[in-house]
Amino acid sequence: MELLLELSAGRLDPARAQSLTAHAKNCPDCSAFLSAQSEVWDALDIWEPAPVSVDFNRELWRKIEAADRAPWYRKLMENLRYGAWRPAVPVAAALAFFAVGFVLDHGTRAPSVQVASISGSGWGVSVIEADQVESSLEDIQLLRLLE
Amino acid sequence: MTGAVLAVAGNPITGHGGAESDLDAQLMLRVRDGDEECYRLLLNKHRNAVVSFLHRMVQDRAVAEELGQEVFLRIYRSRGSYEVSAKFTTWMFRIATHVALNNLRDRRAELAGRRSEDTRDSEGVAREVPDRSPTAEQRMLQQARLKEVRDAIGRLPEKQRVAVLMHKYEEMEYSQIATVLECSESAVKSMLFRAYETLRSRLAHMSAGGTR
Repeated sequence: MELLLELSAGRLDPARAQSLTAHAKNCPDCSAFLSAQSEVWDALDIWEPAPVSVDFNRELWRKIEAADRAPWYRKLMENLRYGAWRPAVPVAAALAFFAVGFVLDHGTRAPSVQVASISGSGWGVSVIEADQVESSLEDIQLLRLLE
Repeated sequence: MTGAVLAVAGNPITGHGGAESDLDAQLMLRVRDGDEECYRLLLNKHRNAVVSFLHRMVQDRAVAEELGQEVFLRIYRSRGSYEVSAKFTTWMFRIATHVALNNLRDRRAELAGRRSEDTRDSEGVAREVPDRSPTAEQRMLQQARLKEVRDAIGRLPEKQRVAVLMHKYEEMEYSQIATVLECSESAVKSMLFRAYETLRSRLAHMSAGGTR
């Protein structure tokens, strides 16, 4: 079928085209295929788009100059608009949404991390750190007692 | 991986179709090195093919021209990272295909209601039909046939449409079409076979009428 398609398209080398044409003369299936395909080919030939407008280049250069002057975020948006990774944008947006939600949630759930300033020292020590130090000292004392 | 390729599809185009001896690719390398005249040469050489392809894809002449400018704008902006990894035309049509498919997806809902070509393109239709028919009746008949061809192509699934347009009108090789569509050559052949089968059934009545 591939060869028949290529024969209809006129892309086969002359020797192969001749041999396939000779075969098709004696093969009703190939002959019918070639006939139908050449009709489609002729029908598609009807469609000849109009030439490009005379302003095409001028408008393109205007766009190139505008693109060169555009700020970085607009260039990024253009890349998002036509980039091949565009389907990934909704996923990335969803991930970003969950990440922001996670950060906000954990940020509001940390009241115990209060910073207590040691007067006069200028150093900030969190309540958690003080508790940990106290607990460690108690453990050391306990070990000494056991010795 | 080159930035130029990245900007198009996110993965590199593997070499097909004699990229090494591709004169257009050599011109593009000179564009990369700052030769704007070479860019003008490439633009003037390929703009008709690109806009025609886009016109047949999106079935709207004004939109096709805008998208064509977008394609050449992207080529220009990718010049700094361009590397020869495929035929220039393969790379260019890959960009054009992405731009066209994105546009079709954006307009899908809008297009559903008016699949049968943009009515404001009537001027373009008139110019597209070669003036071989002296009578108004024959011209109307030819326009009706043109509309049927456009409808038949327009109703093909997007990838089949791309494959047919590249095979029929751009005369691209299977390997090039496969690179553009990011699939195997055998997939392209099967796609084309199905597409032409559909077109044969949709356009069969045109030949039965014997109006050519």
